[in-house]
Amino acid sequence: MSEDRTLRQNRFSVLISVLGIYFLAAILLIVGVMVSERFLSAANMLSVVGGVTILGLVAVGAAFVTYSGHFADLSIPTTMAFSGVMAVEALQFGIVAAIFTGLLVGLLIGLINGFVIGKFRANPIVWTLAMAFVTRGLMRWIWSNRQIYPEVEGAATGAGQHFVNLYRYHLLGVIPMTVVVLAAFAIGLHFVMKQSSFGRQLQITGASFEAARLSGINVSRNVGLAFLICAMTAAVAGIFLTSLSRVGAYYMGEGYDFAAVTAVVIGGVTLAGGRGSIVGVIGGVLVIGLMRNVMTLMGIDTFAQTIVTGAVFILAVGIQSNSLRRLGRDDA
Amino acid sequence: MPSQTDVVTFVNRYRILLLLALVFLFMALFAPRFLNMFNMTIIMKSASLNAMAAIGFTIVLICGHLDLSVSSTISLGAVLVIGFRPDLGWSGAIVAAVAAGGVVGLVNGLLVAKARIHSFIVTIGTLTIVQGIIYVYTGGAALNVTGALDFALADFLEDPILLFFPPRVIITILVIVGFEVFFLRTKPGRNFYMVGGNRETAWLAGVKADAYVIWAFIISGCAAALSGALFAIGISSATTDLGVNSLMIIVAATIIGGASMNGGKGQVLYSGIAVLMLTVLFNGLNRFGVGSEFRILASGVILASVVLYEAYSNYKKERIRGQRPELLKELDPQQLKNVASSLKTRKLQE
Repeated sequence: MSEDRTLRQNRFSVLISVLGIYFLAAILLIVGVMVSERFLSAANMLSVVGGVTILGLVAVGAAFVTYSGHFADLSIPTTMAFSGVMAVEALQFGIVAAIFTGLLVGLLIGLINGFVIGKFRANPIVWTLAMAFVTRGLMRWIWSNRQIYPEVEGAATGAGQHFVNLYRYHLLGVIPMTVVVLAAFAIGLHFVMKQSSFGRQLQITGASFEAARLSGINVSRNVGLAFLICAMTAAVAGIFLTSLSRVGAYYMGEGYDFAAVTAVVIGGVTLAGGRGSIVGVIGGVLVIGLMRNVMTLMGIDTFAQTIVTGAVFILAVGIQSNSLRRLGRDDA
Repeated sequence: MPSQTDVVTFVNRYRILLLLALVFLFMALFAPRFLNMFNMTIIMKSASLNAMAAIGFTIVLICGHLDLSVSSTISLGAVLVIGFRPDLGWSGAIVAAVAAGGVVGLVNGLLVAKARIHSFIVTIGTLTIVQGIIYVYTGGAALNVTGALDFALADFLEDPILLFFPPRVIITILVIVGFEVFFLRTKPGRNFYMVGGNRETAWLAGVKADAYVIWAFIISGCAAALSGALFAIGISSATTDLGVNSLMIIVAATIIGGASMNGGKGQVLYSGIAVLMLTVLFNGLNRFGVGSEFRILASGVILASVVLYEAYSNYKKERIRGQRPELLKELDPQQLKNVASSLKTRKLQE
């Protein structure tokens, strides 16, 4: 009798651990169809995807930080804002220089984070928080709390319009370029995580830092690279976000740190590290998009939406970590 | 004559007091209109909000967990105390607000200790949930005290009765000192440190770790709600985002005050002093006429230096782990080289 019960529980646990987040996505799709017939229309689906592409870009990079067992990068929002502002500032030298400068900011912040956390083993949450303080303070100080506008800064060269169009550009007239960029990043980073030697080493580093170190893996380099990847995708996302909102300012990207953690963790990358995949993270991002869309279609106001989102977040992670524990695959 | 290590230990132990003295001295000497009764009162008042909320964050951190929900719990306490005032009176409203904070803490604690979900996840979740509840309760607008008689308590709480200490500040200091004595001098208080510092020892000693974790979260919720409630009564109004900026300051202060993210370290009193230090810094910078952007930069630089200093000293310690410097010193360098080369040749032969 009791054996039967454990077996059934295990079957459910296996189901969760295999299908993971796409199980939740399927439930949301069914709910969505029941709520409104407009739900499955191409326009609505495109708006679901379009609404979370920037979050997706941030999340696929942030996944590496969580995968390496270092929780989260709280400097994501300021990295996004800083790269956006710097890109706008560099627009006077042309669109290529602007994008290049934006990426350079990401590179720089990623290198600092990676060095301090990878080499000196500073606590990731506290260090990235300090980093967020410093970059935000710098931004507000240098630009004295002003917003800067790409269409003004790039007016002389005409690059401003190109910059604003970055987010709005469509391939073949239908597929948004942001989605293509996200797909490229997701596929590329998926292979980096699962196929490259760096990815495999990072998995061991995340699962057990000490074991990885003792077996001769260059843990400092791996952890540093994880933070670098995170900052780079945050910089790309920041450039797109600035292009979308037509304004560069210190407050851009606020809230993307916790949103990215949500997507990454409900996507199956456990905080204990060394577990999860980019496929799951994309699923997590889609679930967030679907959830927002379904709730809006149901007429739930934004205030109540935050309550539901928070509850679903805790519940999803709770079920997932519980089933992993039941399968004996995780002690966290 | 104190040796170099003695000085380092002294600085490490009283780091936060030295920092406070340093910042205060600098501001007293150079900041215009800094050193007067009125300004000291302002500093004490603005420090007391985050200082009391930092109690809870510190004790949760000592237990080895994180409580990111403090910021919305502060707002919750503020909003509820103003919202319940017409029905329950001040004392009833304060009790209700603190109880609501306690419920938030209890939920956090149960999810962390019993459902075994990571505290980082749980408290991000409850952070958004509580913020949502606040918005639903208030409709997004700020709540204000109405009726002339209701300002009497605010006047009492905010006017200095002793030097530059208004009752609200004195309450904060008493609560902090009370918890400090409880955590350091009593048996159940010290168990909190054991739970966070070494779970296995705690288990062997028969300490119920789960119960302590849950109590830590409850204390955190109550302290945050109480500080928000007292602040709201003091200014006779409550905004929905009162505590938004608090989280960053509390985290920074707790770490600067010597608590460790790994648990088992830290003191409630030192976290409170660190909040005071940051407030003195902010206030002094204000007197220089620089904007809030400089305050964020300054607190970021201080936090970054403290973290970097700790990480670097740990890194140096780690590098010599497993070595025995006192033995290596006895051998002469030539001998060491011989040992190394003989090891190498043996490896090659194998």
